[in-house]
Amino acid sequence: MKKDILKLGAVLGLIMVGLVLGGCGESRSEFAGTYKSMEPFGGKDYIDLDLQENGKGTWVLAGKTVEFTWVVNAGKIFIYTKPGAILVVTPSEGGKMLSVDTTGDWHPGCPPGSCVNFRRVKDGG
Amino acid sequence: MEATGKPSGAEITAGLKLCQLGQEVGVPTGARIVSQGEAPEFFYVIQSGRVRVFRETADRIQTDLTELGAGAYFGEVALVTGQLRSASVEALEATTLIKVSKEEFDRLLDQNPQLARHIIQQLASWLVAGDQRLETEVVHQVKLRQLSWFDYVLMLGLSLVLSLVVNIYNDNRIPLIHGWGDKNVIPEIGLDQALQMYQKNQAIFVDARKSAFFSQQHIKGASNLPTILFDLMFPMFQFTLTQTEGDKDKTLVVYGGTFSRRMDLDLARLLKHKGLEHVVVLKDYSGWPKVFPLREKAAATPGSLDLGLAGLLEWLPVSIFLLILIPPIRRSPYLSVVCRVLLAAIFISFALSKIMRPAVFALNVVDYNLTPAWGVNLWSLALPWAELVVGLFLLLGIRTRAAATLIGAMNVIFIVGLVNAILHNMPINCGCVGEVGEPVNWWKVMKNTGMLVMCIQIFLYDRFMVLDRGGFILRDRKI
Repeated sequence: MKKDILKLGAVLGLIMVGLVLGGCGESRSEFAGTYKSMEPFGGKDYIDLDLQENGKGTWVLAGKTVEFTWVVNAGKIFIYTKPGAILVVTPSEGGKMLSVDTTGDWHPGCPPGSCVNFRRVKDGG
Repeated sequence: MEATGKPSGAEITAGLKLCQLGQEVGVPTGARIVSQGEAPEFFYVIQSGRVRVFRETADRIQTDLTELGAGAYFGEVALVTGQLRSASVEALEATTLIKVSKEEFDRLLDQNPQLARHIIQQLASWLVAGDQRLETEVVHQVKLRQLSWFDYVLMLGLSLVLSLVVNIYNDNRIPLIHGWGDKNVIPEIGLDQALQMYQKNQAIFVDARKSAFFSQQHIKGASNLPTILFDLMFPMFQFTLTQTEGDKDKTLVVYGGTFSRRMDLDLARLLKHKGLEHVVVLKDYSGWPKVFPLREKAAATPGSLDLGLAGLLEWLPVSIFLLILIPPIRRSPYLSVVCRVLLAAIFISFALSKIMRPAVFALNVVDYNLTPAWGVNLWSLALPWAELVVGLFLLLGIRTRAAATLIGAMNVIFIVGLVNAILHNMPINCGCVGEVGEPVNWWKVMKNTGMLVMCIQIFLYDRFMVLDRGGFILRDRKI
């Protein structure tokens, strides 16, 4: 009986490790860096987006800084803000360009009017 | 099997001149000597070696009855009762037997009253022991199927305690009750007064909901400033206000549409906090579509992102649902084990995707528009932990009937939420496992229904690989 419980424990442990590792997301290094919006946001000012390799980041617009965390999953970047919003970011050109869907949802192709495009200005976080 | 203080079977058989009676035979390891259900022809006495006596059901579940060694005998029950063999016997090692025919056995009994008495005593003791085993098994089965409040208190209590403790140490922690203790300094206005201001162009209407809700339906001319994106969007909103002549002095009328008032009240407080003086909130959070002119658009179906393994796992309940339609499979305890492992994998993976970011899940809960303000965060904290704890109980085989009822109850709640969202055409994400890009549709309802059916199957038929009050039960039980 002890052997059975040990076997069951081992299976459970493996499942848990697999799930936890699966939930960690992919490496951030490819997308870590500083980005600038390609057009002024709302015609006002450019947005500076800084993605640090440790998973933290900042969004700076008109002198106001918003901190967030980010992960990479299935080739997309997910930005998590403190109030619980998620911005889905689609990278292109090997991470040199980012399209941020500011609706808080994910839409194929990033909807015009709610899509902010960024270009990388500096590598690394 | 032998009674204490009386001559044993070995002592009795040692006194018999068996070599004059039967025929000596050797059997190799693993050889079947007697098969359950066959007509009896011989009585056997073991000279050397060991044998295993066992019963076997039609679906090949074996129950070991005993092991016998040198001097012991077997095969007498069927000869005495005249019935078919009640058990099978297999050699555990190379064994030498004396094989005695039925005629010789009858003669042996006639000539050896001591052997006859011993056989009667043994049969009687087996009857008593059988009754006791039956009673033990019945008690065991009854306990296995018992449900107790303790099971529910244990699982739900554990989930609640874990959720509260982890929330304290979580970097993304949320308050137990959103807005608890906040003074509501925002004045509210009624629909009639707001309509007058709207008609006289004295106010700017600000929709606090997510952009998908705003796109679907909003007050004509209103701006959208989603509360959840306030930090990111406010600079642009402020810029827009300053650009339009006269707008900066107008009253800002904030409105939302959720039962929890999570969006509109929060946005009004945030705007006030940013120094905007004339901010009011609509009193009747759901009445504005009936009063104001609207701009409406068909709800866009949210895009679906690849959910990976969790997305594939979710399809399996539909297959299980089809399997359950086949009656012999429906009652199989092996299917119960499959259902348990599958449900556990699904619920544990669902839970892990939500546990560390309760704020994100709380916004999904708000979207469903079924939870009051005080309950949103509590539900968002406790539900993922309940999914994890109950999933683990199912996987480990602990209190599986209680665990199945809890998972079943969760599925009923999910199905109600999904159907409500579909019928009200809500442009929301499911929030079940993926955080975004997980559409709410009838397929999702079907998957949850499949899981509910699996819970019922576990509740009715689960009995293998379970750790219950009587101990751990695997496929074979040694009695």
